[in-house]
Amino acid sequence: MESRVLTSELKSQIGQEIDLVHEGVDRFRVLTPFRFTDGDGLGIVLKRDTSGWTFTDEGHTFMHLSYALDARDLQDGNRRQIIEGVLSSFGVTERNGELVLPTDALGVRLGDGLFSFVQALLHVTDVNYLSRERVRSTFLEDFKSFVRGHAPEGRASFDWHDATLDPDGHYPVDCRLNGAGAPPLFMFAIPGDEKCSVATIAIMYYERAGLAFESLAVFEDMARINRKALARLTDVVGKQFSSLAGNQDRFAGFIGDHVVLTAP
Amino acid sequence: MEPKHLHFDYRDRIVPKTKVGAHFQRDVEVRGEGGSEFVIIARQSAINPIDFSIILAVVPQDSYVRFRLRRYNGKAHPHRNHLEGGPRFYDFHIHMATERYQLSGDDEDTFAEPTDRFGSFDRALECFVDDCGVILPTDMARAVRLFE
Repeated sequence: MESRVLTSELKSQIGQEIDLVHEGVDRFRVLTPFRFTDGDGLGIVLKRDTSGWTFTDEGHTFMHLSYALDARDLQDGNRRQIIEGVLSSFGVTERNGELVLPTDALGVRLGDGLFSFVQALLHVTDVNYLSRERVRSTFLEDFKSFVRGHAPEGRASFDWHDATLDPDGHYPVDCRLNGAGAPPLFMFAIPGDEKCSVATIAIMYYERAGLAFESLAVFEDMARINRKALARLTDVVGKQFSSLAGNQDRFAGFIGDHVVLTAP
Repeated sequence: MEPKHLHFDYRDRIVPKTKVGAHFQRDVEVRGEGGSEFVIIARQSAINPIDFSIILAVVPQDSYVRFRLRRYNGKAHPHRNHLEGGPRFYDFHIHMATERYQLSGDDEDTFAEPTDRFGSFDRALECFVDDCGVILPTDMARAVRLFE
């Protein structure tokens, strides 16, 4: 096929995917093929205000993110910094949760403005994942620090493995909370899918070996774990906390209860 | 669907009133007759009143995952069911959890169908109550029927 024909066909097909729906005076809904992970398209409106023609999401993007994420998480910290960087890169500004790109005020052509606006919205929806990756390196340390702060001196053994049943350390336990006179508590810190599977295997290994123990998993963010990996761990683990940050009181209480129940 | 008894005025408790950015939000936890834990997630744009979402999610035992079973969406974005290859539509619509979309790696409630049963948040909430096994206090149910 000639490049001229290919170009024409491509332009035609792309053009058909962009549509405007008239919704009142100087206001149009912009339909594009770009979507969130649940199949819903991006919410985009083109309307004329005091600064001229402006693309706006009318707050839809942050609202959509709030289905699964606490909207307050977007207001500060790493996520806020990343969002601001994304918006700045594409000339988009935020007005109390509404994302806008004023094309006339910026001297931007409508087509270019739409591409920039779409890219900005897509990057914003990705930001949760990116920010979690960025802070992941501190999660295990946060976990250990928290347990150290709430377990009595000498009762917690980190990066533990059973010297007899697992001399090579193939089935590590992030923290074994000593329960003299009662089963110990095996705790696993889960930052991602791989660790989720490793924890599942370790629990099953010690169960099959006949070791008496209780188990607990703390996720960096349970919502980001692959469903199948999570289902397998759920089948074998005793207690789960979906995140460390949001469950510190409950987690501390659980450690405290275990220590009391298993006190020598 | 597992019955869920509400022992309160559901309009006051579910209609989102807390403003976060450019939308209002409210999450209400409800226990089903069989003991399952559900959460009703309500969102409504402060800018465009027909941009809303009313979600029924179940929280599996011993977890904090919110698995979205149904989602009643306003008319503020297009949708396409990409596995079926159907046309894009722009209308009020209802999402529902399906096994096929989960198996394909999509969100559980990716599949959606357009609907003409509601055109406002309030009417969508009534459809939600009708469809999702929500059982209102007797007086409230009577009032809703009279209202219709």
